[in-house]
Amino acid sequence: MRAAYPQIEGDVDRDGIGVHYEVFGEGEPTLFLVPPAPISHSRLWKGLIPHLSRHYRVVTVDGRGNGKSDRPTDLGAHAVDLNVEDLVAVLDATGTQTAVVVAHCHANWWAVSLAHTYPDRVDALIAIEPGVPYLGRPQPHWVETAPHWDEILEDPQGWELNNRHVYVTRHSDWIEWFFGQQLVEPHSTKQFEDVVGWALESTGEVLAAGEEGFDEGLPGRKAVEEICGSLRIPTLTIHGDLDVCQHVDRGREFARITGGELLVFEGSGHLTPAREPVKVNRAIRRFVDQIEGAPMPSHTWTRGLSRKRKALYLSSPIGLGHVRRDLAIAQELRGIEPDLEVDWLAQHPVTAVLESADETIHPASEWLASESGHIASEASGHDLHCFQALRRMDEILLANFMVFQEVVEEGSYDLVIGDEAWDVDYYWHENPELKRASNVWLTDFVGYLPMPDGGDHEAYLTADYNAEMIEHIARFPRIRDRAIFVGNPDDIYPEVFGPGLPKIRTWTEEHFDFSGYITGFTPPTPAQREEWRSELGYDLSEKVCVVTVGGSGVGRDLLEKVIDAYPKAKEMVPELRMVAVAGPRIEPESLPRHQGLEVRGYIDRLYRHLAICDLAVVQGGLTTTMELAAAQRPFLYFPLRNHFEQNFHVRHRLHQYGAGRYMDYHDTDPDQLAQAIADEVGREVHYREVETDGAERAARMIAELL
Amino acid sequence: MRAVEPVSTGFLERAGVRLGYEVFGEGDPTILLLPTWTIIHSRFWKMQVPYLSRHFRVITYDGPGNGLSERSTDPDRYGAEEYARDAAAVLDACGVDRAVLVGLSLGGKYGIRFAWMFPEKILGLVMIGPSLDLGMSLPERQAVFDRLYEPAVADPQGWEKYNIAYWHTSYTDFTEFFFSQCFSEPHSTKPREDAVGWAADSGPEILETESLAPEPEPADREALAGLTCPVLVIHGTHDRIAAHAAGEEAARLTGGTLATLAGSGHIPNVRDPVKVNLLLRDFVGGLAS
Repeated sequence: MRAAYPQIEGDVDRDGIGVHYEVFGEGEPTLFLVPPAPISHSRLWKGLIPHLSRHYRVVTVDGRGNGKSDRPTDLGAHAVDLNVEDLVAVLDATGTQTAVVVAHCHANWWAVSLAHTYPDRVDALIAIEPGVPYLGRPQPHWVETAPHWDEILEDPQGWELNNRHVYVTRHSDWIEWFFGQQLVEPHSTKQFEDVVGWALESTGEVLAAGEEGFDEGLPGRKAVEEICGSLRIPTLTIHGDLDVCQHVDRGREFARITGGELLVFEGSGHLTPAREPVKVNRAIRRFVDQIEGAPMPSHTWTRGLSRKRKALYLSSPIGLGHVRRDLAIAQELRGIEPDLEVDWLAQHPVTAVLESADETIHPASEWLASESGHIASEASGHDLHCFQALRRMDEILLANFMVFQEVVEEGSYDLVIGDEAWDVDYYWHENPELKRASNVWLTDFVGYLPMPDGGDHEAYLTADYNAEMIEHIARFPRIRDRAIFVGNPDDIYPEVFGPGLPKIRTWTEEHFDFSGYITGFTPPTPAQREEWRSELGYDLSEKVCVVTVGGSGVGRDLLEKVIDAYPKAKEMVPELRMVAVAGPRIEPESLPRHQGLEVRGYIDRLYRHLAICDLAVVQGGLTTTMELAAAQRPFLYFPLRNHFEQNFHVRHRLHQYGAGRYMDYHDTDPDQLAQAIADEVGREVHYREVETDGAERAARMIAELL
Repeated sequence: MRAVEPVSTGFLERAGVRLGYEVFGEGDPTILLLPTWTIIHSRFWKMQVPYLSRHFRVITYDGPGNGLSERSTDPDRYGAEEYARDAAAVLDACGVDRAVLVGLSLGGKYGIRFAWMFPEKILGLVMIGPSLDLGMSLPERQAVFDRLYEPAVADPQGWEKYNIAYWHTSYTDFTEFFFSQCFSEPHSTKPREDAVGWAADSGPEILETESLAPEPEPADREALAGLTCPVLVIHGTHDRIAAHAAGEEAARLTGGTLATLAGSGHIPNVRDPVKVNLLLRDFVGGLAS
């Protein structure tokens, strides 16, 4: 899922070539984001659109040759003036009289030409890694390979791939080489996949025509310098000093000639909008507000000693388990520090739980892009590749971090508590100067682990993500003031982070404190259990089996399989009473029916049913399984396929408690499932006791920071 | 020692009074830090001058009655219009055409008058805890204004000390009380000592003369509504001298920005100098571009 979708999109017809545009937000002024094409398209701006469109109106365009625009192969169709006229046509079509243009790489020459030819349409130019011809100095590999552009080379290597015939016949070789060189920053696997993927949406033929069209009819060096020097608009140039496409001197020269501001990113390559989106977002915002002369807003500042203690709590919306334990921790914290005010920055479905608990939800919560929606969109059947789903959530996490950062800068918080708030943890380590409060990190697992089906490449990716996390914490120990592992050292999966990386357990014991598990509720005593049973309408002679698959639509397949097993199970256990809970996203009516089987959409306080049942059939999520472990109930659990956390971390932890029976969804047929139900239902179990003081222990660790 | 010394110092004479001014730094634009009630002198800007003068040119001067300026005995010379003319004369003497004016308390009133009388010379106006005639005085303050010229009561307590007869017999006790009210924040011993010390450079005769100064025309409310320059009002919620509501009203009348300082008293530029400095820099920086 994207973090933001356009309010309007459309195409302009330019002599038969369709050029696509999108419009986001409605503030002032309009920012016109122009990507280089055909090498890339408007998704290049995915890290900027959600933030900028909350403050300004944003128009994006797919340059001819990629994205949702047409792909002419004739070099004449890629002339600079045609590209410039495309921009004018999009401005006209979107009713944009003037705009601040933001361009990347060689799109800056189009932007400069636009400002030069249509000075009344451009308020300012933000030139990112500008590829304005001649300025500064070119990278030597462009100069060296240019004479051989049209030749047929024997076994070209490296920069020699910059060749028309390579483009046309081995397009992806060139693209992978080119972007492999550009992403000089370590841990850029996701950005690499993105930019390569966008480039490959076009073809080598189109790309070659684009290159040739760009060069055709370029004015000489002097004319380019004069055009740049004649611009009468404010400019901001952003340039990575390790850029191997456009030399940083080109950016320096552009800033100098235009009399504008220069922002050099040290250690960055050619793709700062993708690789340093937080800094680029903030630089754009500051520049635009400055040139617009935005008046200082009225506001209140509270002097230090007049402030109440305040915490901002972020509770991950992926699974409902976090909010239960977070509420328990917040309650314990207030016991220690009664004046503590807690604001929650949270999203659905967490907000529903918080509202019913009368907690204060920060109004900026409405700006958060949906993480649970994204995860649901990534699941298919009884399968969720949660590592890849998390990687593909990058733009949502970034969008939400930008919201968080504004909240924390305005809110005078003493403390940020992030329960698996991946965005805060990651981007504060990436932008350590933005940290504004003491910071608590909570998690119930450490370490991305590859699924066997993913092969070597997935093992490489998970190791790279783990390595980045380890480096973050080694380099900036001041970002996490307290890291709390919700569990015990024995719960940690006995593996290493990856080849050459430390053991997960050793490293975690060095870098975390352990609160023990936090269920967020107290399991009933045997006497209470009988009371609850009759309150909930279950007869003591019945054998109650509760089937639940969580709040998302992911569980339908499992639900159907259990329902298929019901007749056989009922035959084997005549006193069986099965209650299947469909949850909010699955229509109960859409499921198969059987005599005696109860299918319910929603059950109030489901945990009470789970706590007294004779058997539960569930997915492999930590919260529900540990709830059942704490209540000493027999249960069958089916981890989602490809979900490393459920398959490794949760399963390992349940093993520590001796709790539950692991089942493989794909290897279990309804008859086997019926047999497992018959074996387990009503079985007396003796799991290791689940601790009940976890929330209090976590709260005491956190309160030390207040 | 001061944190920063002036790059130049000068005197000028206007309407029979010799006025002293100091210039710090050399950036652009120029910020003129106005005098306030003449009970204290321009050292009350000591927490602003070093920071602001690294970014802008900063001019301070003393009004009649304290600091480097002459102790005038003419009540008319203490009117807001005279203060505005003095400010214009200081800018002229420094060769400055236009400046941002910043005034504390009564200095806000002087700033409004300057903006009203010399709109071409002002880039922006900042009023900190402005003490204005908007009919919005704090009730306990209004009561003492009404008793200002009454005979002193025996063993006066609190605001009963705000009485000219009492000033003549117990000036230091009065200033200690008064600045305890200005600095209502806990742990304000040093700011109070500073202010009491600066007050010793003025005296009861001068304050009595000042109290007889004429009110300007048109009144503050009408002048505020007519201002066209950008305005920032900084006002503490615990201001016991000038009501926060009056600052809010001043921002509303001018369409300006209100920065509320929750928990702050009447002189936040001394007591919360970091926040005030950053606000001033943001405001002036926003004007410059």
